[in-house]
Amino acid sequence: MKKLISKLLLGVAILASSACTKTDNYDGPNASFQGNILSSEGGNLLTSGGSPQIWLQQIGWTTPQTIPCKFDGTFEDTKLFKSNYKAVPTGGAFWPITDTVIVKIDQGSKHDFTVTPYIVIKNFTSTLSGTTLTLKFNITAPIAAGLPNIKDIQPYVNTTKLVGAGASIRDFSDVNAIAINKAYTDLSDADKSITLTIPNLIPGRTFFVRAGVRLSDSFNSSNFSEIVQVDVPK
Amino acid sequence: MKSINKLIITITLGIGATVTSCQKLNIAPTNIVTPAIIFNSEAGVKSLLATIYADLPIEDFKYRPDGGDDNNGMQRPGFNPGNPWMNFYNSAAVTGEEVGPFGGMDIGSGFGYWPYADIRNVNTLISELPKHVATLTQATVNSLLGEAHFLRAYYYFGLAKRYGGVPIITVPQDPGAPLSTLQVHRDKEQATWDFIGAELDLGYQMMSEISDAGRANKYVAVALKSRAMLYAACVAKYGSTNFIDGPARGQGLVGIPADQATKYFQAAYDAAKLLDGHYSLYNQNSSDKVKNYTDLFLDASSKENIFIRQYSITLNLNTPAGPHSWDATMSPGRMTSGGLSRSYPTLDFVQLWSNLPITNSDGTPKRFNNLLDLTQGLEPRLRATVYFPGETLRGLTFDTQRGIYPSFSGTAAAEVAKAPNSRTWQLQTDPNVLYPNKTDPNAKQVIGFTGISNNLGDDQLTRTGFYVRKYINYNAAKTNVDLYKSIQPWIDLRYAEILLNRAEAAVELGNTGDALTDINLIRDRAGATPYSSIDLDKVRKERRMELAFENQYYWDLKRWRTADVVLDRAHFKGLMPYYVFNENKYIFLAETELFNREYTFQKQFYYEPIPGGQINQNPNLLPNNPNY
Repeated sequence: MKKLISKLLLGVAILASSACTKTDNYDGPNASFQGNILSSEGGNLLTSGGSPQIWLQQIGWTTPQTIPCKFDGTFEDTKLFKSNYKAVPTGGAFWPITDTVIVKIDQGSKHDFTVTPYIVIKNFTSTLSGTTLTLKFNITAPIAAGLPNIKDIQPYVNTTKLVGAGASIRDFSDVNAIAINKAYTDLSDADKSITLTIPNLIPGRTFFVRAGVRLSDSFNSSNFSEIVQVDVPK
Repeated sequence: MKSINKLIITITLGIGATVTSCQKLNIAPTNIVTPAIIFNSEAGVKSLLATIYADLPIEDFKYRPDGGDDNNGMQRPGFNPGNPWMNFYNSAAVTGEEVGPFGGMDIGSGFGYWPYADIRNVNTLISELPKHVATLTQATVNSLLGEAHFLRAYYYFGLAKRYGGVPIITVPQDPGAPLSTLQVHRDKEQATWDFIGAELDLGYQMMSEISDAGRANKYVAVALKSRAMLYAACVAKYGSTNFIDGPARGQGLVGIPADQATKYFQAAYDAAKLLDGHYSLYNQNSSDKVKNYTDLFLDASSKENIFIRQYSITLNLNTPAGPHSWDATMSPGRMTSGGLSRSYPTLDFVQLWSNLPITNSDGTPKRFNNLLDLTQGLEPRLRATVYFPGETLRGLTFDTQRGIYPSFSGTAAAEVAKAPNSRTWQLQTDPNVLYPNKTDPNAKQVIGFTGISNNLGDDQLTRTGFYVRKYINYNAAKTNVDLYKSIQPWIDLRYAEILLNRAEAAVELGNTGDALTDINLIRDRAGATPYSSIDLDKVRKERRMELAFENQYYWDLKRWRTADVVLDRAHFKGLMPYYVFNENKYIFLAETELFNREYTFQKQFYYEPIPGGQINQNPNLLPNNPNY
C-alpha cells in the first residue's frame, strides 16, 4: 500500500514538473506617461473634470485611448504598454492641434504639451457681501480671429475643491449664467468686463468658486479662472 | 478437409461481397435549405422576405435607441432588444418630448448598429432571383427585385443616418475571398445617400401599386425616399455650417457639400408628390376630431397608412413580430392589469401649441372647478396625443394631483421660486391618505391614484402631470391590458409625414404656396386653425406636433443640426395640479419635472462612432467619425 502511494506521488510529481511551464514573456502595462498641458499665456491650462484629454494611439493598433486631464492641467497614466504612440491634447477650450506628436512611452516618460487657450480670464476677484458673492474679471482672447462664439459665462460653485463643469451645484452655478451667444470680436470693451452675482449662499458653509467661459466649439468646452475658497459667515 | 474448403469458400464470398458492396453515399443533406428550395417558388421567397422584413430597422414600439439588453441568442440590441416590454425607452424620452427612463442624453453614441448580415440576405436575394425566371415568371421576379432594392435602401438608410458614409456592398461576398477584397473601404456620405435614392427609384419602377399590409409597394419606396432625401438635403445644408472637423470630414466620409442641398430637397419634394391621390389623411369622424385622431393610430383600414409593421399575440414575444406592450407601459397601473410606466410628456412639449391658460393676468394661478376644465378649447390633436389631468381611459379618470394647499395666496411664479420646505403644501406618497383627516366629511385625497407621488424613487406614476395618449388602445378592456398583450400595428410611414416632408422641402426650395396647402391639410384634420402664411419655423413646429412620440424628432434635431442648441444642459417642465382646500378649487403650477433630468447633446453625436469591433475586423473603416 505504501509503495502504491509513493508510486502515485512520484507519478504526480513527474507530471507536475513536466507540465507546461512557459511564462508570459510580454511586458505588462508597466510604462507610464505624464506631463502638463501648458498654456501659451503662462502656467498650466486651467481645466475641469471631463474636459481636456490626451488622445493616444498606439502605432500599429486601431483603437485610440485617452488620458483625462486633472484639474491642475496635469495628466498621468501609469498602466500603459511600452510602445510608440501618436499623442495630441484634445477636448479642451484651446485652439485645436492638428499635428500629432509621436512619443516613445516607456517607464517614467514625460511630455508637456503647449496649447493656446481660446479665452483667458484675468484680474479675477471675488467679494462676499452678506450671502451674496460677486465675481469680477476680464476676458481676453490670445487669438481673436476665427474664435468660436462665446455661448455663456457662469460661476461654478461647489463644496469641494473639485469645481467646474459637471462638478458644481446647479442652483448656484448654471442658474446664474449670463448668456452671450456672440463672437468675441463683436464684444465691446465693456462687454469683456464681466460681473457675476451668486445670491443666497448658505451661511456657515465653505464653498469653492471659479468662473468659466463656455464656447461653441465642437466640445462646448470652457476656459476657467483659478479656484477661490469662500467662507460664508454664520 | 471438407470443412476447410467450406471455410475458404465462405471467407472468399464474404470478402468478395464486402469489396464489391462499396457504393458512394452521395445524397443531398435533407436538413439544409438550398437556394433551389427557396427561389423556385414564390412561397419560398416569401419566407426569406419575412426574415428580411423582421430584421428591418423600423423604429417601432420595441425599438430601444440605447440598444437595451441582449440576453437571448435570438435577440439583438436596438431593434429587437431583450426584455422587449420596456416600450418607454423611446427616443422621445431624450429630446424633451418626454422625460423618464434615461438619466440624460444616453443614446447619442448609438448601439453599434451594423446590419451587414441582413444586407447580405438581400444581396443574395438580388443575385439569385434572376436565375429563377423560369419557375417564378419574369413579372414576379421584377416585382420581387423591386422589393429587394427597397429593403436594401431601408437598411442603408438606417446606417447612413447614424454613420454618414459606409461601405456600399451590393453583392453577397465570398467568405473565402482574399482579405483585402473583404475589407471594404467606407464610401463617401454623399455616395451613400445617392445609392439609397437610386435603390428606391428602382423600387418605385419595379414594384406594383398595391401590396399586402406590412409589405412594400412602389409608393412605399418613394415615401421612404422623401424621408431619406430630406435627411441628405439637411446634412448638406445645415451640416456644412455646424460640424466638427476631422479626417473623416476631410475625406467626405461625413458631410455633403452645401451646394448639393437643393438637389436633395428637390428629390424629396418630387418623391413626396408621387403619392398624390394614392393615400389620404384619416378623416373618418369629422364631428369628433379627438376621436378621429386617436383612431388614426388604431384603425387598420386607415388610408393614411403607407407602411406598417404588424404584431401577433401568438408569436414568440421575443421576436420582432411578437406582441408589444405599449398600452401597459404608457398608462398608469390604475388603467392596466400589469406593467408600469416610466416616460411622460413634458409641459414644454404641450406648450408647443400655446401656453396653457393656467395663470391670470396678475400672475396668480387661475382657479378651476375641476381638472378637465383646463382642456376646454385646446386643439383636438393635442388632447388626442397627451392625456391631460381629468381625462378618462377605460372608465377611469386621470385624477392626477401633486398635492393640497390648505390655502393659496400670491403669484404662481413666487410660489414656484420658494424653497420646497417653505411651501405650505401637503404632499403624499399614498393616494389613500386624506386631508385634513379621514374622519372629516369634506376630506380630500392629497394625491391622485394616477400621481403625483412625492416618493421620487418610485417612477411608475407621472412626474410631469401628463401621460401619452397616442397609440393607446382605449378599446381594450382593462383586464386585457398587460405586458405582451398589445398588437396595434406600428405605422412606420403615414401620409401626414409625407405631406410634412413635402412641405419642408417646398419651403426650403422657396415654394411656400405648396407648403401652405400641405400644412393646412394637416391642420384641418388636427382641428387647428389653418395658417394664412407659412415659413420654415411653422413647418418644423407642425412636424413636431404631428409626429410626436413617433421616434422622428430625434432624427429631425440631428438633421437640422439644432440638437446641440436645443439640448444644451436642458431641463424640462411639468404641469403640477394642486387642490386648494379652503377654496374647493384646482390650480396648476408649471414646475421643473420631478426627475429633474439634464440633457446635453454633444456635437459629435451628429454622427455615431463606427463600432470598435468592426474597426478591429476591418481597419479600412478608419478614419472614424470626428471626435471619436
